[in-house]
Amino acid sequence: MVDLSPFEKKLIALVSQGIPLVARPYHVLAQRLGCTEKEVIATLKKLLSKKIIRRFGATVRQNRSGYQGNVMVAWKVPAERLDEVGNFCARLHFVTHCYVRQTSPDWPYNFYTMVHAADEKECKELVTNLAKELKLKDYVLLFTEKEIVRKTRPYFPELLEKQT
Amino acid sequence: MALSALDRRLLDLVQEGLPLVSRPFKALGEELGLSEEEVLERLKRFEQSGIVRHLGASVDSRRLGFVTTLCAVAVPPTEAEKVAQQIAALPEVTHCYLRRHRFNIWFTLVARDYAQVEEILQLLQQKFGVEPRHFPATKMFKLRATFRLSCVEDKHRRG
Repeated sequence: MVDLSPFEKKLIALVSQGIPLVARPYHVLAQRLGCTEKEVIATLKKLLSKKIIRRFGATVRQNRSGYQGNVMVAWKVPAERLDEVGNFCARLHFVTHCYVRQTSPDWPYNFYTMVHAADEKECKELVTNLAKELKLKDYVLLFTEKEIVRKTRPYFPELLEKQT
Repeated sequence: MALSALDRRLLDLVQEGLPLVSRPFKALGEELGLSEEEVLERLKRFEQSGIVRHLGASVDSRRLGFVTTLCAVAVPPTEAEKVAQQIAALPEVTHCYLRRHRFNIWFTLVARDYAQVEEILQLLQQKFGVEPRHFPATKMFKLRATFRLSCVEDKHRRG
């Protein structure tokens, strides 16, 4: 965990919710925070370089932009193969997320990949081929039936209430 | 909404990052041969049509001291959507999906600590009579939240 100044926290609270679509968005944020546009830009650069802000830009809904199929695959991978399998999957373009996770007694799957493709059929083919290539037999396909929500949680909202 | 080649290039650029300069949309426009106003109009259109869900910072919640975990519950299929909507309404829930499996609701929590995770899961247990499981990540190999749109057909590319 990193130490952040109250100003940095307020800025994170604002920019994690979104920035306004105006010619000078950082100027609008600066007015809200009572500082200069330059300070906003410099602080955002610093938070990016410290990787507290992972990405500063747009997030698209992939299912409205050509990637219709997506499936979460839960794999059972022998512990000694996790690094090899993880590094291999991380290099694949159709895999967007790749995590090792804890298991539970009725859920032995310890490795997860999100696979995206044009449609469900292609997702299945990609996973079948990947399983062959990795010589893994125990895995579950968890197809997305419906996205209920994808959002960011509010960060430090208590710091913003005083401003509004 | 149909996307033109130029729309796709703009979406690729703005996913990579919004320039940290006084007039970021002017800077984007210069790369694409568009005016500042045209870039802003297109981005407003993408937000309204839902292609762009968020324009701003994606923060690393773990570096801010929060914990994240993936949770799964099994509910009767007829109740799945109703229960999922109520789970999704919690401020700590950032992703929630119906999935084709006995465990038919999967969601991620971003909480202050694991004690809060347990609190939330207990609350769901009491409210819906479900037995949630959760699987915290122990290692992350990849998290890519961007989609290259100017070459969607090129799907076997590695990277």
